[in-house]
Amino acid sequence: MSAQPPALVAKDLTKTYDDLVALQPMSITVPSGQSMALIGHNGSGKSTFLRMVAGLLDASGGEIEIAGFELSDVEARATTSFLPDDPVLYDDLSLREHAEYISKLHGGDGWDDYAESLCVRLGLEERIDDLPSRFSRGLRQKTAIVLALVRPFSLLLVDEPFVGLDQPGKLVLLELLAEVHAEGAATLVATHDPTYVERVDRSIALRDGEVIFDGKASVDEVLHLVGG
Amino acid sequence: MTIAESSAVAAELRRARRKRRVASIHWIDALYQVYITGLVSVVVVVLLSGAIGDGKVSPAGIADIEAHGPAAAGLLVAIAVFFGLRSGSRGGPLALERPDVRHVLLSPVDRGVALRGPAWRQLRFLLAASAAVGAAVGQLVVRRLPGNALEWIVFGALFGVTLVGLGYGCALLASGLNVKHWVASLIGGVLVAWSVGDLVGRLPLSPFTVVGHIAVWPLEPDWLAILGVLLGVVLVVLGMRWVSGISLEAAERRTALVGQMRFAVTLQDLRTVLVLRRQLSQEHPRSKPWIRAARRTPKYPVWHRGVRSFARWPFSRIVRALLMATIAGLCMRAVWNGTTPLVVVAGMALWIAALDAAEPLGQEVDHPGRTDTFPLPRGQIFVLHLPILFVISVLVGLLGAAVAVAPVGSSVPVGPGIFVGVMAGILAACGAAISVIQGAPDPVDTLSMVTPEIAGTRTVIRTAMPPAIAILGLMPLLAARASEQGAGDPPPLPAAMNVAIPLLFVVVLVGGYVRFRDEIRTWMAEASEQMSPSKAVERQREERLAAEQREAEALAESKRVAKEAEAGKSASQGAKARQKPKPKPSVSPPPEGVRGGTSAKPIGRKRDQK
Repeated sequence: MSAQPPALVAKDLTKTYDDLVALQPMSITVPSGQSMALIGHNGSGKSTFLRMVAGLLDASGGEIEIAGFELSDVEARATTSFLPDDPVLYDDLSLREHAEYISKLHGGDGWDDYAESLCVRLGLEERIDDLPSRFSRGLRQKTAIVLALVRPFSLLLVDEPFVGLDQPGKLVLLELLAEVHAEGAATLVATHDPTYVERVDRSIALRDGEVIFDGKASVDEVLHLVGG
Repeated sequence: MTIAESSAVAAELRRARRKRRVASIHWIDALYQVYITGLVSVVVVVLLSGAIGDGKVSPAGIADIEAHGPAAAGLLVAIAVFFGLRSGSRGGPLALERPDVRHVLLSPVDRGVALRGPAWRQLRFLLAASAAVGAAVGQLVVRRLPGNALEWIVFGALFGVTLVGLGYGCALLASGLNVKHWVASLIGGVLVAWSVGDLVGRLPLSPFTVVGHIAVWPLEPDWLAILGVLLGVVLVVLGMRWVSGISLEAAERRTALVGQMRFAVTLQDLRTVLVLRRQLSQEHPRSKPWIRAARRTPKYPVWHRGVRSFARWPFSRIVRALLMATIAGLCMRAVWNGTTPLVVVAGMALWIAALDAAEPLGQEVDHPGRTDTFPLPRGQIFVLHLPILFVISVLVGLLGAAVAVAPVGSSVPVGPGIFVGVMAGILAACGAAISVIQGAPDPVDTLSMVTPEIAGTRTVIRTAMPPAIAILGLMPLLAARASEQGAGDPPPLPAAMNVAIPLLFVVVLVGGYVRFRDEIRTWMAEASEQMSPSKAVERQREERLAAEQREAEALAESKRVAKEAEAGKSASQGAKARQKPKPKPSVSPPPEGVRGGTSAKPIGRKRDQK
């Protein structure tokens, strides 16, 4: 039986905007099923890295492989789910229609029990047939969580997931992240919450686009690295 | 996921959304839009018909069209290709919805399948529009040129379709192949320059001149021109083939900005369009300025702020200013040699350059909350920004003048040329200042409720005035040319100076508008409110209520005094007899129109109570 390929391999990945270097050449490998936190100050390069891995930003240099596939391959897109910090939703589709459509785009059956259970856990059961364009920031974020999880994936990229969430929502998201990790998916979560590092296998700290720490970190270490 | 499955899912969503969109269309609004579009089209056709006239072109004129027409039409195609390449290098020509980028293009659906649908729809619209415009132009041309009417209409439409096909195909290819922006600009620029060179007879036959033969086919058929049509088809097919290579970064940036830009265009908000265009082309100020700032505290902070902004101009903006100066200079030369309409191009070029120079002023206008915190009236801050704007714009004008007076061929004389450069720079700055200051029209004002014909005229004036002021700056050149061609009395330079005197008056007016724009708007708003019949009724009601309130207070006061007097009478009747009577409480006279006369007895009270 052959070993599973790493969930993510980034080699000398870099991003520049004219004279501004957003990400210094960065090489990391995320084994399949690993949970990882990306920590750092604002502007340290966390979101830039995640968006490059998601395929939303063009890398200025370097290579990305996802589950052994080139980033541009259809298989890589089928494998990666991205939960952004700015939910992007259609104005004219309800939550149910969003979930149905995105599930089908990924070869799923559309609206199913799992989608319904996600909505219930996130407190959206009363809003399933409402238009998310009329939702508050927090409800839109919860909708984005449903859409990120309603489809199959083996690599979950999450950017600042707790922004706009109320405390129950935050707790549910933490549970969901633990569940997808337990089911074998690799998770990469960019966050400012220092306590989150205790829940993951590995943490990477970035400063000014450079990796300054890579390993299992404690809250104190995080506070020391990126400040309180 | 197979291509067929991808296609089915994408089509299913498209159908569902279209159904919902159609259901939500407000048909009265849609019909009104059709009415406005029809009205504008008729006005344009009538104006064009008037401009073209009905007189037949002389044989010499026809020979001239046969000689230069294909190159001129080819230049149009080259410009379309230039813009297509640049648009494609920035993620165009498609402007997808942002959720489509996030959900569809990031899903395992075949991107080609997902993108070809929107691309075909966009192309279909552009082809239909260009064919209609081409056919309309063919129908107008047939009045003055020999040939079969149907032939002119067909080949006019074919030329329009070919132009769009070549431009759109290049855009799709540049997007799909991720051509760098500078490479696209370079290739497009070379092709345009080649066409210009061909048009003026300095360069060998441009490939687009061959395509241009389609436009004059009824005069001079050239079967080679059909290659242009085939090339357009090939470019579109290849573009569709490689459309899946689109950069999601560019596509997402475009989706976010193009929608806003369209909205700003519909509001005639030029300032927002400019800002968004800069964002679209990622034209950011330099993080390291060209000139380092002095460490001492500036004596004139607003001027200093303007200079610091200028010192951070990105390279692309400097190149654009130089390009605009060159265009203005070349146009000034052509005007001097008799091609008068090019004053419009020269003025527009300088105005575009001045809009870049007006950026610090624009930043102040964009952030009224910030300027409100300054201990100066906003208008005063705006006026303080003008000197730097004038200096930069005059520098651009002088660069244009340098091109115009360069001693190669038939050039403008140095004296009038430099004077015109200065005046054109100043007036271009005035035009730019007005563009920036006037901002977007108020969404709700008195004139927004009038008929579209009146509101449309107002919109045209708003839009045309700033470039028109910039074009006025070229009037001294026409005066100097008239002097040169006429008796020479006064000589060209004094003739140009004579025209400049009323232009200086325009500059003063613009300065006054910039300084007192807020006051003018407030005054206009108040005047408009005074004129409003509903507001007058409201005002009368408020005045009546106030008068009633005063009357009630006076009545209460008189009762109180009477009560006190009654009580005091029994206590100290003897002593009180020696005291002076208290003065009556003064009752302010009621305003006119509320009550009749000054009688305390209310008139019309019962009616009011009803």
